[in-house]
Amino acid sequence: MKRISTFILTLLLALPLSASAADLLVGQAANFMPAMQEIIPAFKKASGLEVQATYTSTGKLFAQITNGAPFDLFLAADQRRPNKLFNSGFAEKPFIYAKGKVVFWSLDKKIADKSWQEAIKDRTLHKIAIANIETAPYGTAAMLALKKEKLWETVKPELVYAQSIAQAFQFASTGAADAGFCAYSSMFTETGKKGEFTVVKEAPPVIQAACILKSSQRKAVAEKFVAFLSSPEAVSIKKKYGYD
Amino acid sequence: MDLYPLYISAKLAVATTLFIPIVAAPTAYILAFCNFRGKSLIDAVVSLPMVLPPTVLGFGLLIVMGPQGPLGGFWKDLTGERMVFSFSGILLASLVYNLPFAVQPMRASFEKLDIRLLENSAVLGLSSTAAFFRVVLPNSLPGLAASAMLVFAHSLGEFGVILMVGGSIPGSTKVASIAIYEAVEAMRYDDAMYMSLAIIPVSFLALLAINRLNKISRRRL
Repeated sequence: MKRISTFILTLLLALPLSASAADLLVGQAANFMPAMQEIIPAFKKASGLEVQATYTSTGKLFAQITNGAPFDLFLAADQRRPNKLFNSGFAEKPFIYAKGKVVFWSLDKKIADKSWQEAIKDRTLHKIAIANIETAPYGTAAMLALKKEKLWETVKPELVYAQSIAQAFQFASTGAADAGFCAYSSMFTETGKKGEFTVVKEAPPVIQAACILKSSQRKAVAEKFVAFLSSPEAVSIKKKYGYD
Repeated sequence: MDLYPLYISAKLAVATTLFIPIVAAPTAYILAFCNFRGKSLIDAVVSLPMVLPPTVLGFGLLIVMGPQGPLGGFWKDLTGERMVFSFSGILLASLVYNLPFAVQPMRASFEKLDIRLLENSAVLGLSSTAAFFRVVLPNSLPGLAASAMLVFAHSLGEFGVILMVGGSIPGSTKVASIAIYEAVEAMRYDDAMYMSLAIIPVSFLALLAINRLNKISRRRL
């Protein structure tokens, strides 16, 4: 009995070690998750290297990095945060790895019958999810589109604010909100296919930049992964999820 | 700085503290005085919100309180309003989340009552309802007050559940903890600090009061 418990204890103690034995830690903006989950195994197949990603909002990753989070690579959803890290000496020079689009999505498939502007003007949608307009780049882009179409004031009472683009999609996909401004990449997931969407062409493209962090001890692996991000294989995965 | 989140947090904490005895007091009473099959089951269900990750509870509530969910659907038929993303919605979430924090101290103070008091009141002809209001309640006041303070302090700092069902609507569901979280993300560290500074002393005073009340109720024994 004692032996067994010692064995289990040793196992438990050893577990976290084996779990964090990744060759590269990536802080990844949440919108890119569907694509990243295909890129990581593809990279492993090509190089034998294990990449581990943490998916959350760009703002949160930024705050974590400036406070010493042990990431090697930061794949953001905007250019602002990587530039800021570069200017304050936290990171190497940023580069662009993807351009995303904002879509207007709903579980109700009738939404695709008209333009997103008309859908909002109809006032049949009572709650509309949008990512935090201040910290989430997809939220900012959606807000710019609404302002451009002079719909911001109309829609404001109906808006519910999500912490990240992933949560905006969650609000809409659980039916808690009637529709939501989401990332195009989510449309290719199982849940995304359950609804219908229209592309918000008025929203500026979300230019997503990345940077290798100066504190990284594994820059060679990071550079390898960065190179892989623009390989034909990774590019086709990105295309598949709607990134330019 | 926007002061509304602080106001909403205070409003939520006060409303939770006022409404929670309606459910918590009978539950605590039953758990303290009654013996029946499946009591431990009820006990476990009531305590569940204390051990569940707030995100799990919040996600569950998001589904149940959504317009297609059983509770949200009923609410919509009743009031024509949507339950999630409203103040009533976060209040309900807060009540569910705080239930064990209200029930446990209440139950403890009920259980500490001298059973002879109750026996005497029964002998003297008080109905059990009258005994509850005239014997049980006055004799467990410090415990009840401690329960109220705990619920107040706890709902003042509520975060995870409201993050899931609130939708961070300014002036309605954006509570202080969420506003602080967003301020940190937006690198408005000053705002985050001032709001935190407003919450810390209130929570601290509430905890001091709880300790004080616990001491009083111990002394009474």
